[in-house]
Amino acid sequence: MQSLDDLRRMVRRIEPRRPPRAAARPVEEVLGGAVHETGAGPLVVVRREYPLAHAHGCAPLAPAFAAPLPLLAALARAEAPATDGRSLLFLDTETTGLAGGTGTYAFLVGAGWREDDRFVVAQYFMRDFDEEPALLAALAPVLERAGGVVTFNGAGFDLPLLETRFVLARRRWPALLSHLDLLRPARRVFAPSLADCRLATLEREVLGLERGDDVPGALIPSLYFDFLRTRRAAPLARVFEHNRQDVLSLVALLGWFGRALERHEGLGAAEVAGLGRLWEPVDPERAEACYRAALAVGLGGALALWVRLRLAASEKRAARWEAACALWEEAARHAAFDPRPWEELAKFHEHRRRDFARARVLVESALVRARAAETPARVLDALAYRLERLRRRAR
Amino acid sequence: MLGRILDDLLTSPATGPCITATRHVPSRPPRLAPFPPSLDPRIADALRARGIHELYVHQARAWELIEKGHHVVVVTPTASGKTLCYNLPALQCLVHQPDARILYLFPTKALAQDQLAELEGLAKTLPEMRMFTYDGDTPQDARRAVRARANLVLTNPDMLHSGILPHHTKWASLFQNLRYVVIDELHAYRGVFGSHLANVLRRLRRICRHYGSAPQFVMASATIANPAELAQRLTGEAVEEIAESGAPTGDKLFVCYNPPVVNPELGIRAPYLGEASKLAVRFLREKVATIVFAQSRLATEVLLAAIKGGVADKTGDSGIVRGYRGGYLPTRRRAVEKGLREGEVLGVVSTNALELGVDIGHLDVAVLAGYPGAIASLWQQAGRAGRRSGSSAAVFVATSAPLDQFMVTHPEYLFGTPPEHARVNPDNPFILANHLKCAAFELPVADTERFGATDVRRFLAALEDEGVLHHAGERWHWAAETYPADHISLRTVTSDNFLVIDTTARDDKQVKRRQIIAEVDWGSAFATIYPKAIYLVESEPYEVQELHWREDEEKVAYVKRVQVDYFTDAISAKGVWILQRLADQGRPAYLAEQGEVLVAEKVVGFKKIKMGTLENVGSGEVELPQQEMQTTAAWLTVAPEALARVSPSREELIDGLRAVTYLLHHLAPIFLLCDIRDLGSWLGDTTPATSGAVATRESAKRRLMDAEEFHPTIYLYDSHAGGIGLAERVFEILPALLRRGLETLEACACKVGCPSCVGPVNEVGRRAKATARALLLSLLAA
Repeated sequence: MQSLDDLRRMVRRIEPRRPPRAAARPVEEVLGGAVHETGAGPLVVVRREYPLAHAHGCAPLAPAFAAPLPLLAALARAEAPATDGRSLLFLDTETTGLAGGTGTYAFLVGAGWREDDRFVVAQYFMRDFDEEPALLAALAPVLERAGGVVTFNGAGFDLPLLETRFVLARRRWPALLSHLDLLRPARRVFAPSLADCRLATLEREVLGLERGDDVPGALIPSLYFDFLRTRRAAPLARVFEHNRQDVLSLVALLGWFGRALERHEGLGAAEVAGLGRLWEPVDPERAEACYRAALAVGLGGALALWVRLRLAASEKRAARWEAACALWEEAARHAAFDPRPWEELAKFHEHRRRDFARARVLVESALVRARAAETPARVLDALAYRLERLRRRAR
Repeated sequence: MLGRILDDLLTSPATGPCITATRHVPSRPPRLAPFPPSLDPRIADALRARGIHELYVHQARAWELIEKGHHVVVVTPTASGKTLCYNLPALQCLVHQPDARILYLFPTKALAQDQLAELEGLAKTLPEMRMFTYDGDTPQDARRAVRARANLVLTNPDMLHSGILPHHTKWASLFQNLRYVVIDELHAYRGVFGSHLANVLRRLRRICRHYGSAPQFVMASATIANPAELAQRLTGEAVEEIAESGAPTGDKLFVCYNPPVVNPELGIRAPYLGEASKLAVRFLREKVATIVFAQSRLATEVLLAAIKGGVADKTGDSGIVRGYRGGYLPTRRRAVEKGLREGEVLGVVSTNALELGVDIGHLDVAVLAGYPGAIASLWQQAGRAGRRSGSSAAVFVATSAPLDQFMVTHPEYLFGTPPEHARVNPDNPFILANHLKCAAFELPVADTERFGATDVRRFLAALEDEGVLHHAGERWHWAAETYPADHISLRTVTSDNFLVIDTTARDDKQVKRRQIIAEVDWGSAFATIYPKAIYLVESEPYEVQELHWREDEEKVAYVKRVQVDYFTDAISAKGVWILQRLADQGRPAYLAEQGEVLVAEKVVGFKKIKMGTLENVGSGEVELPQQEMQTTAAWLTVAPEALARVSPSREELIDGLRAVTYLLHHLAPIFLLCDIRDLGSWLGDTTPATSGAVATRESAKRRLMDAEEFHPTIYLYDSHAGGIGLAERVFEILPALLRRGLETLEACACKVGCPSCVGPVNEVGRRAKATARALLLSLLAA
């Protein structure tokens, strides 16, 4: 440790000989914002306005404010739905890491809301860690007056993180914040058809937005740490732009959901089926309508199998055996082997029709397919057991 | 039955002469006190329902002191009702203030489970008890419920460190209302683990201050010399000590057993493992429940194999004897504990892992195969046999190491010496810096703040240089993307574990399925799971096929089940070099110094050793990287005149100095509460580190022989990076250590040196004992 102190003394001796570094330009100037005085100190706020007709990719912002919010909230299994689109707050944070816990800061909070016929994005930025109290002081009233918050993965990340920051600063966290996390419905609707459900993927595939010179999210913390050391704000401009784009994507995505729930045209089969899954807990009949529509426009793959089994189960409950059997038979024809339609068919023939021979043929061919596919022993055992019983009953 | 076997042991011509001493500890009646008047009647009823009508005096005293607001540590023997000392105030607190919070810390998850069961039994009829364990086994979805509901949380220091403190905002109600922090098995927190815990508690107290609470610490410890001092070092608070036990004890016989000499010329005794296993088999065959303590993981496995064999001869069932050690998976250990409690397992061979208070029911005999390195551990291990009533016995079987031989031939020392001091070094720079990172992550560190009582500004500045902290607004903030606690293990100075995976395992359907069979820490991995090593798990041999150790690899050893009759022992090359001198003391014949050294070690090969006979049956080479660490050391450089007085031959001097090194290393643990493995030793010289390279014993000797200048230096260093306070102590006691070395050497009956004094003659040479004696006399001359 002694040597480290020596080194530091040495550095201090060298330091003054270097020409003084040009004073960095103030952050607010570089980023086009202004310093705001909060009761808890100053911070930089960058404010941008967009007309509602602004096209984000190929999606305009306006439809978000016409979306059936209570319905959407119910579909997303959010708590108290917002009553009015105009009071929605679209929120996205940039943080010093993804680790969570008390040592991760939200150094930039982007918040968007509608003001008359414009959409406003306000970005709250702390120029150093000691401006966090000011950032939270500025954010608190914005959260308080919001009728609801819209985020993407906010339930898992942004909101717990902000809550931690509020608790640490001994500020009251608005506990009853009603929250719509678009990640949940996005997973339901897009998981089968897209490679992943990251926001960037949805932007590209759903909103038709290509971000040009976007900064990768993984680089953002180190850009902020660099800024803390160098005080050079220019490289942060891309982070601010990234954050604004994220907020606008929330608006566009909400608009997309609002429209898709009402009209299916222009949607792929997988998305329609996904909408069905979204409806499922709220309105099973509408869910089934979606499934049928999806099958009609050529839904395939594992999702189609799932949808057929789901529809068949509903037919079975209603004792519409013919329809159920038709669905099971189609499901059994799927390339990937699944024992369930075979079992259902066998049960139908054994218990309903009492056609043991037919049931036996079904189980035998299921067994052949099961052995060909890599099927767990437990499934094979169950089929073999059923076959054995059928053989006995047929005698 | 036990009495008859013991009589036979003491009197038979085969074993009688091996008994060097016995000590009978008579039974003692309980000393009782009435329930304190302030004890809530509902708790008093709950106690009565469990057959408890009075308290032991130490329990009543604890109540009194805790009620007055003191931090306390209770130091009484195994099974003396220590837990009630902290359970009663805890329950009383929750009955009266259901919103208060209490935190229990145990060194292991198993102990927390045990204690929860005990608490639940006691608290069945009490209102508002919401007690939960919170540890690595708590399912993710249950964690939120525990955080929200629990008013008594049982956890371990590791979880507090990595799961609770860094998320303290989620635990705000705990920290706001924290009334008691209970720390059981306090003696376990010494050395590295204790140095870490002291820092975790510094962090805990910081967070409590932030939320406005100041919890009272209630601690319990097995017998050590300095429980109050340890408690104060760990908690940073003044602590009251309660040392007098009111609990009854049963009748107990302690026996010292020295294996017979089989080669008087070389001073070779019968292998102690063989003797210990014979003794254990004798007890087990008569269905006497026996615990055998071995001093290393390898010794555990070798003993277990021998005892299983011996027991199977007679009963045909070797399954009644099981192994137990760290590195076994938790499920395997839980099964052994349960088996012991329920009597299905009659015997167990364990490392000191079972020294802690895991509930394994009542055992009749403890066989201590080798001196556990500390008087405190000796009594702790002996205490595993026999609980409150009935007779029991403990047999200490000495190894041929100098320390063991000293103890077994000086029973007055063994029985008369107070147990050792537990040492911690909360300011070990590596440990401290790591916890400062965590502290800053949890809550920015103010410029004016001290960490415990330590001024840490230097450290904070260094951490900023490293780029993980950032100073703003008179506070140091965490400024990195990582989660520091994840990279800091409390059990080692540095962390990283290897998984041992059996590639030949099969599941119940005989399908091949890779299976994790053990874990090995980074520090010992290269010496135990190098390629071709035989790794034993419950005495089943596995051969290591591959070891993946590179930075970018997952740390894994792939092993396969094999049938072999040997085990392997690593051969390593080593070097020690001085980095910084911090203190020195000149004597006429030598210069003693203390400071920082660089220790480099590299495993270069291994010996194959036959099970049973322990003969050398082969060897192999290994290609592994060199491991380096900076640590603290004490060293002694002999003056040229002193060397000249002893012998003109460099070779003879080197052999003699090696013998002295061996002796000092093996005797040093008497003065420190540490394991012999917590210290390392080396005979080198004062060559600077920059020009040094590791060497095996042979090449190191050649190098010393050929060196231009002959400045032989004996190093005794702390085996933990950064040091945990052992080297400073060695430096202090060096003259006493040299004297003890001379005494031991002169008392040893061998002619030319043996493992009991200066080391095996084939390693140190035939003149080594004489040279070592001359050297010691010369060093001690004023």
